[in-house]
Amino acid sequence: MQTWTSRLGVILAVTGSAVGLGNFLKFPGQLATYGGGFLIPYFVALLVIGLPLAWVEWTLGRQGGARGVNSVPGIVLALTGRRRLSALSAVAPLIPLMIYCYYVIIEAWCLGYALRYLGGGFGFAEPARYGEHFAAYVGLGADGGMVSQPGLLAILGLCLAGNLAVIWLGVSRGIERVCTWAMPLLVLCALAIVVRVLTLAPVEGRTVLDALGAVWNPERSLTLADGSMRTVTLAQTLANPDAWLAAAGQIFFTLSLGMGVLITYASYMKRDDDVALSSLTACAGNEFCEVALGGMLSIPAAFLFFGSAVLISVPGLFGLGFVSLPNVFDRMPGGAAWGFCFFLLLFLAAITSSLSMLQPAVAFLEEGLGLTRRGAVAAIGLLTLPGIALAAWLSHGFTALDTLDFWMGNLAILVCALVICIVFAWMLGTRAGLAELRRGAEIPVPGLLGPVLRWITPAFLLVVLGAFLAKELSGGGRIAALADWRVALPFAYLAGCTLLAVALGFAAQRRLQARLDGGRP
Amino acid sequence: MSAGGWIAMLLAVGSTTGLFAWCLWRVLRRPPGR
Repeated sequence: MQTWTSRLGVILAVTGSAVGLGNFLKFPGQLATYGGGFLIPYFVALLVIGLPLAWVEWTLGRQGGARGVNSVPGIVLALTGRRRLSALSAVAPLIPLMIYCYYVIIEAWCLGYALRYLGGGFGFAEPARYGEHFAAYVGLGADGGMVSQPGLLAILGLCLAGNLAVIWLGVSRGIERVCTWAMPLLVLCALAIVVRVLTLAPVEGRTVLDALGAVWNPERSLTLADGSMRTVTLAQTLANPDAWLAAAGQIFFTLSLGMGVLITYASYMKRDDDVALSSLTACAGNEFCEVALGGMLSIPAAFLFFGSAVLISVPGLFGLGFVSLPNVFDRMPGGAAWGFCFFLLLFLAAITSSLSMLQPAVAFLEEGLGLTRRGAVAAIGLLTLPGIALAAWLSHGFTALDTLDFWMGNLAILVCALVICIVFAWMLGTRAGLAELRRGAEIPVPGLLGPVLRWITPAFLLVVLGAFLAKELSGGGRIAALADWRVALPFAYLAGCTLLAVALGFAAQRRLQARLDGGRP
Repeated sequence: MSAGGWIAMLLAVGSTTGLFAWCLWRVLRRPPGR
């Protein structure tokens, strides 16, 4: 039976799972888009969705672990006794596995860029060259562009082997050990870059304070290229449904909710271990990395060098990380060292997240199908290989990556989180759930959490899910896109894996039941 | 940076840093094994 060796170990592993590229690239981009007023919907979403759901997942996980099961289907069977629900819940470990298929590729880009800076950086004279280089590097302009680069393929192979090796080593010898040194190193890298950004000399009259204002000011006026003014006020941000949807989505994805990751990680805790404070610490660690470090880093640096152009057209996650910031680093004194530090930071954030994406599926294959750890690791390596190949090969316009991200990285985790919330609050009951959460708790758990979990969180999730579907599926663009074989192929892969997961879920029931009854099958 | 920007930054950065520091202190003050 695997367990975490220390309480700090599990907290660092969960924080590592939560802290990812979105903390340092997506969050500051949203702050720059909506202004400092974005923080109000952001913190409301943290209180209404983030913290309650994190507590729910930790509680369910520890409760299932006490019954001797670590996989989501095993825990669902142990807590509800419903076999069909347990079999269907085998989709939960599949969600992070499908996200892993493209996430590990981005991880390889980060390592590739870090190595490039270790060799001195890019040093392009023309700013446009940074965008051209990134497009060629990842095959953005033509399918197969990425797979034709032996260097990047070797780095990708290294990342795949590294992830599988750490998972094979197990929870305490693998994941915990990696996160115990990777997370402090990540925070040190981020702190060093924040200090560097905050001490940069003015560029073309723009000071660091101007750059911070670009991120944090709730109200701002921008002069567009056609001479017109675009004004963003606090009232406009608060009245903007897109800002609320973006805030809820950001909180949801940044805390690794709805993927079964927290449930699986918490299942390796002991029965009376505290989950209330541990969960709060992991959430607080993620928020510290996102708000206090992420908010001070990428957009201020980009604004300082490129001015309000960054705010008029806020670059996306990839544009900011792999185009704008390399451009900035190469213009800074000692830029190669800072570039290496930044991409090492992104790589550490990515690998601690990707490790967590594999563990739920490994746990399910081990206890549901009776595979050895080596067999389970080999099976997920084989299962993810076609997805990784598709994401790497169909790179034109990030078609495959976008398809996997939409159906699994967005839609499926929202649905999964809603199901988790309903199971906890409506099937198991908030009274019993809160009693379980309070067992061993080192901080008081507010009684208000019960009604919040029963009514407000599911309602909030339903609204977010409805708004997300209305936004993404309106006009039928997503469905119509399936007529294109480049979208249909990754979608068929997802559908096939989902059917396989459900079939394995049903096949695993007898073994899971025997495990719960105390007899090893 | 405007006054609103200062308020937003200090509140957001201060509260997240403070909460994380407090949580870590609570976790680390426990003897190992608890």
